Amino acid sequence: MQDRKTDVLVIGAGPAGSMTAKWAAKGGADVLLIEKRQEIGSPVRCGEGMSKDWLPEVGITPGRWINLEVEGARIFSPSEKVFEINEKHAGNEVGYVVERDGFDKQLAIDAANEGVEVKLKCAALGLLKDHGRVVGAKVKEFGETYEVHAPVTVGADGFESQVGRWAGIPTNIAMRDMDTCLQYRMANVDCDVRYCDFYLGKVAPGGYVWVFPKAEGLANVGIGVQVSQVKSPADARTHLDRWIDHHPGYAKGKKIDMVGGGVSISPPLKQTVADGILLVGDAARMIDPLTGGGIANGCIAGKICGQVAAEAVQAGDPSKEFFQKYEKGWRARLEEKLYRNWLAKEKLVSLSDETFDKVIDALAGVQLQKLSVHNILKAVRDKYPEVTKEFEAFL
Amino acid sequence: MPNKKSLHIESSGQLCIYCGACVGICPLNCIYLDETRITFDEKVCTRCEVCVKACPVGAIEIG
Ligand SMILES: Cc1cc2nc3c(=O)[nH]c(=O)nc-3n(C[C@H](O)[C@H](O)[C@H](O)COP(=O)(O)OP(=O)(O)OC[C@H]3O[C@@H](n4cnc5c(N)ncnc54)[C@H](O)[C@@H]3O)c2cc1C
Ligand code: SF4
Ligand code: SF4
Repeated sequence: MQDRKTDVLVIGAGPAGSMTAKWAAKGGADVLLIEKRQEIGSPVRCGEGMSKDWLPEVGITPGRWINLEVEGARIFSPSEKVFEINEKHAGNEVGYVVERDGFDKQLAIDAANEGVEVKLKCAALGLLKDHGRVVGAKVKEFGETYEVHAPVTVGADGFESQVGRWAGIPTNIAMRDMDTCLQYRMANVDCDVRYCDFYLGKVAPGGYVWVFPKAEGLANVGIGVQVSQVKSPADARTHLDRWIDHHPGYAKGKKIDMVGGGVSISPPLKQTVADGILLVGDAARMIDPLTGGGIANGCIAGKICGQVAAEAVQAGDPSKEFFQKYEKGWRARLEEKLYRNWLAKEKLVSLSDETFDKVIDALAGVQLQKLSVHNILKAVRDKYPEVTKEFEAFL
Repeated sequence: MPNKKSLHIESSGQLCIYCGACVGICPLNCIYLDETRITFDEKVCTRCEVCVKACPVGAIEIG
């Protein structure tokens, strides 16, 4: 097949890639979006929970991909004391439960409607470089290999990202900075459609068990375990199966689907751009390290990424200096929270099950009008003064 | 490589669910996932066993 040219080449049509492509096209660039799978969004590797307040910011309108809207989250301590949090305060996985493949497809449709060319079964095999600058990629589409030349290339290739590594941008993650995840979709379970549930403590070392309801009786039941805390192979599966066995409302359920995957729970990367290349979404390790949610952050950064990509094309300057606009832009919007939540996660995984129980118990006992550090501390101090010190360090 | 342990990825689909967790964490970037085919570069792999821990279903064995 003949080599071809485009202004912006986006590798990977997940949420981050489609968003980037759409906003680059809106900015006037000629955009090619390539996806190695045959079907965008499938197979789904996701708990399918997302907050909703950010959708207008990036231009996504709610559609048929929404399964249901939850009121909030329930946090269960190791002895299953419960603390409820209103949806608004519950982090970036709580708000809607969605049909993730439908969501991903909708974003690709939005991109296509802006004039983006989309190619399926088209995998990037490596980057093209000219004097160290990235100038496109070698791709394989339906078995045929050719080159795509582009002044701007975007790596939106998800958790497994190769693009960043090919570009020489350090994206490696340590075992302590990754969760290994497994999830079943389960029918005939006693889930509560009003809540997304999170079970913390030893049930999921360094992570949590989640139950995100899809409909009455139907839920995504999954687990994330910090890789550095894995004791033996298949620990994620062993812990999830054990959790299900110990919960009669789920043990009676039937598994109808199984997915797995990796989630980065790292502090933000130091660098996400180089000459001719930008990284976005999971490829740039933008997942919230506390919640494990990555859809919102990928889309928010994707919008900025697409805008800057188009501007760079227009300015004829795809240099890493020009791309600082993206680097600064996404950091201004997301970095502080990513960093704060990474610190919180580091502390959280070090709390003992007993402390956990006490904290959740203290919080459960009071109606917190507002979820502020002050209010939380006060509740804990009033009921369990002995754990205040350990917990204070956490906040 | 006579003194290297053998690494085996059960990639026929009996265990492996093609989730990519091992691909993302391998520090040497030597595991490849192509839809439902997973392979690794025997020569580059250092048998660090990181992928073994990262696999949620225990499809990778080093022995
Ligand atoms: C089990 C699990 C549960 C999760 N649950 C949630 C949740 O409930 N809420 C939430 O917000 N987040 C969740 N996440 C995280 C969320 O799924 C990701 O953050 C999100 O998918 C990131 O989007 P992305 O566009 O960066 O990458 P992806 O969605 O991974 O998209 C990357 C795309 O690039 C393609 N690609 C890869 N390599 C190439 C190549 N060489 N050439 C061409 N195409 C390529 C892939 O096929 C893929 O389609 C979960 C993750 C896992 C693993
Ligand atoms: S053992 Fe280490 S180097 Fe070898 S494939 Fe696994 S993670 Fe990569
Ligand atoms: S982590 Fe395990 S299940 Fe996932 S792709 Fe690798 S070998 Fe297969």
